[in-house]
Amino acid sequence: MGALSLLIFLPMIAVIGILLLPNRMGHSFKYLALLATVLQFGLAGYLYINFNGSAGAFSEVSTYQYVEQLPWIRLDLGSLGKLEVDYFLGVDGFSLPLLLLSAFVMLMAVGASWNIEKSKKGYFALLMLLNTAVMGIFCALDFFLFYVFYEVMLLPLYFLIGIWGGARREYAAIKFFIYTLFGSVFMLLVIVGLYFSVQNPNTGAHTFNMLYMMNPENYVPGSFFDFLGNANEIFGIPARMIGFIVLFVAFAIKIPIVPLHTWLPDAHVEAPTPVSIILAGILLKIGGYGVIRICLGIFPDAAADANWWLGLIGVVSIIYGALNALAQTDLKRLIAYSSVSHMGFVLLGISSLTAEGISGAMFQMLSHGFLSAALFFLVGVVYDRVHDRYIYNFRGLASIMPKYTAYVAIAFFASLGLPGFSAFIGEAFVIIGTFNAESMNTGIPRWMAIFGSLGILLSAAYFLWTLQRMFFGTTRLKGGEEWVKELKDVNIREQIILFPTLALALLLGIMPSLVFGVLNNSVLSLLDLVTPYL
Amino acid sequence: MNEFVFQVSDSIDHIIRSIPLFKVEFALSFGFLSSIVCTLIFDKYWKHSSFFVTILSIICAFLILMTQHDQSNFGFYNMLIVDKTSFFARAFISIGLLISAIFLQQHFANKEFKKRKGDLYSILLAAGIGLNLFSMTTHWLMAFIAIEMVSICSYIMVGYFSENKKQAEAAMKYALFGSACSAVMLYGLSLIYGFTGDLNFASPKHIQGLIAAPEVMVSIAILFVFTGIGFKLSFVPFHLWAPDVYEGAPTPVTAFLSTVPKIAAIVLLSRLASAWISTPFYFSELTFMFISFVSIVTMLAGNLIALRQTDIKRMMAYSSIGHTGFLMMAIIAYSNGQQNILFFYVLVYTLMNFASFAFIDVLEQKLGSTQLSSYTGLGKKMPIIFTCFSIIGISLIGLPPTAGFIGKLFVFSSIFEIYQYGGDQIFLWLLIVGALTSVISLFYYFKIPLFAFLRNNKEENIENINPALSPMLVIGVILTILVVLIGIFPSGVFGVISN
Repeated sequence: MGALSLLIFLPMIAVIGILLLPNRMGHSFKYLALLATVLQFGLAGYLYINFNGSAGAFSEVSTYQYVEQLPWIRLDLGSLGKLEVDYFLGVDGFSLPLLLLSAFVMLMAVGASWNIEKSKKGYFALLMLLNTAVMGIFCALDFFLFYVFYEVMLLPLYFLIGIWGGARREYAAIKFFIYTLFGSVFMLLVIVGLYFSVQNPNTGAHTFNMLYMMNPENYVPGSFFDFLGNANEIFGIPARMIGFIVLFVAFAIKIPIVPLHTWLPDAHVEAPTPVSIILAGILLKIGGYGVIRICLGIFPDAAADANWWLGLIGVVSIIYGALNALAQTDLKRLIAYSSVSHMGFVLLGISSLTAEGISGAMFQMLSHGFLSAALFFLVGVVYDRVHDRYIYNFRGLASIMPKYTAYVAIAFFASLGLPGFSAFIGEAFVIIGTFNAESMNTGIPRWMAIFGSLGILLSAAYFLWTLQRMFFGTTRLKGGEEWVKELKDVNIREQIILFPTLALALLLGIMPSLVFGVLNNSVLSLLDLVTPYL
Repeated sequence: MNEFVFQVSDSIDHIIRSIPLFKVEFALSFGFLSSIVCTLIFDKYWKHSSFFVTILSIICAFLILMTQHDQSNFGFYNMLIVDKTSFFARAFISIGLLISAIFLQQHFANKEFKKRKGDLYSILLAAGIGLNLFSMTTHWLMAFIAIEMVSICSYIMVGYFSENKKQAEAAMKYALFGSACSAVMLYGLSLIYGFTGDLNFASPKHIQGLIAAPEVMVSIAILFVFTGIGFKLSFVPFHLWAPDVYEGAPTPVTAFLSTVPKIAAIVLLSRLASAWISTPFYFSELTFMFISFVSIVTMLAGNLIALRQTDIKRMMAYSSIGHTGFLMMAIIAYSNGQQNILFFYVLVYTLMNFASFAFIDVLEQKLGSTQLSSYTGLGKKMPIIFTCFSIIGISLIGLPPTAGFIGKLFVFSSIFEIYQYGGDQIFLWLLIVGALTSVISLFYYFKIPLFAFLRNNKEENIENINPALSPMLVIGVILTILVVLIGIFPSGVFGVISN
């Protein structure tokens, strides 16, 4: 069993342990989950340190590290050829930072679930199952395996939102599920199409291997998704463009883009704090990762044609998300919309198809990963105490919760892109990449960069305005004296979670090379794949 | 006269040579007779005797069937065919009969009736004989006899223990609708016999006759014939009986009706499709268009109407209509040489359906209700049942890591392959509707965990429910584990089906 398998299945061991232990040992569940995530984080960190990104083709196995490949399903389907599914794992500069991020955010989520009282057994078992699925998604290099993990991820989330959520949890849970499933069933059809179009050059069998799908030479001439000279059309759109669009929509729902974002505010508002942390910190990144690894990797030609639209969608998401955030009166909803806005930068950066832009997008994903997790955690702190998060119900919190206010202020400033924090690096690189795109002839005009920077301005507006409304001025709370008693300052456990997160934001803001070093070669090899089609 | 005498000995020889093909059905027939005897005489001394005779004869039939593996033969003047298709169909039917018999025994174990319970087993075996014949023939006469045999047994099973008006109404509706459909089918068959002079639908003479016949009349005849098959398969627009009957019938009978006759009817339709679709003439195109169009409409109608159901049995009725549509997609694959994909999907469907009805029955006996709302908040009290039930729901939707997902993937693959080389738009629509209805089905299958886990019960009056270990529950759990195992490691099962 390799390191990546261990990373994926460590939480499964915790699941089995939790399920086997009797209910009366309820306190031990959280320690079991914590142990699994700590080990996982350590392992992911170890892998991260020992990673040496070699420059190589994006579609070569040698570019990936910690590779594990085992035959999983081998079927002879007669005229449909031999079905080949591998248990195929490997990481490169794109997936490894996200793995580390996932392990970190999972650790935060377990910390945030410390006081869960309602059916702990189910809760921690589902949380660890989710953990397994998420790790699997980032490691899988076989499309079938990827899809299995992708769908398995939905089930625990449905129950986590649906059982432990707020008042409208049923609605939010099913809405989230339906949105994602809608994208993914059509993704399944494209996977089937790719399966018939791609052959393993060694065995001649059709395959789900993603790396083979990225190499034009492996396509069967005349097949449906054939690379060159493909005249297949569906409803008048070229087949490869359809494939790209379907996959893009599936992942764009996760990112989420405007107008497919409406599940996000509902899911966030109804979800319990730890699930919000996971949603914002990890799940949205699966969308961005999918676009990079799968849409760009397998359909580089279509991506090169469609990137103007991708950029436009990114800009619209940035502006629309920010304007919506300005209008919110529920703190959690505000942060949910700020996520939409910040993830718009990721899409804009990817669409620029420049090294700066894509690196910036990845950096933005990482930075948004732990910053939004911190923001949702901070919302949870207030909500846990008074079960209210309506912005106008609070005023002057600074005088009764000084430490909390300090953390909120740092998180807000970090998120709005203050230089010195990680979000600044991400957003700046995205803007630089987009701005340079015109001179690189990738088809992204400069005005998109300008509108993107407008988004940074707007995020400063809503964050600072919120800070002013809730924390400054004389103390006036809706709940009066009772709330003042309830609103105790952050305790040790909360500080243990918050401090490393914000320190990380600062560290990466000062030393972005910690990420860029790992990332760089992969970005370049991805660009090698895409640029010939520009 | 002398010529005739020679023919007689030839015929007798032929029939005697054909008899070994019929040995599985002989076993069932013998079981049928002995179970009647048991009901009349021995049940007084040992009340389970007819049940055990039934189980024994199904197992014997299954074991005899295993000797017909790899056999490919015709008998009784091409009335019966023993080949791979009929082998697997009868194997699945035997499994279905076995599970149905156990369900029936369990369901009626604690109920008192004036009528003899044992009769139900003999009827089940009679239906089994009919179903076996159904799946072994390409001869219209045999097919019609088989359909009638299955139908009459089904009418009795639905109506035999009707306790209230609703159940009696269901039985009546079923019998009336069924007889009307059979009559229409018989009329269509007589037209087809008139055109072709041959009742074996796979024979060259039959196909030539259809090619030569006038288009309008062929259309009418074919549509009439599909009425009869459509009734058994309950595809749109012949599905109207299904929800009422499924709701009204006792749960084990519903489990039987929604699964086993479908296997046989699917096999007959597949044989018909592969015999008829291959020619470039009008009737082939009509058959193909009919199957594809009905498949699309059935998937949409079944899944959309299922959304509004509040009774789990009614919901499962519409779900099974939706799955019929999907099975018809697999028939198109079958007629293009992808037989094992159809077998795989049928097997998976059988497992999933029996598992869900096992849970429905266990819950019905505990709660006395099949309303979805009666499951409210029970997830914590009966975690095993509802976890397994949710997994079966996930499999019915077609999500990994379950067998339902692998089945759907195979069907999509085969249709996509035909689309890739044929390029007909209808295949694309089949794929799109197939994918879309999976999303729709999520809404109603997830009502089970929604009520069981997400909603809380306000009244705490169900404290006395203690989840006792009943054989039904054990079967349901075993089937669930099988569904997950096949979903993760499909190679083994698929290898058995392919060879």
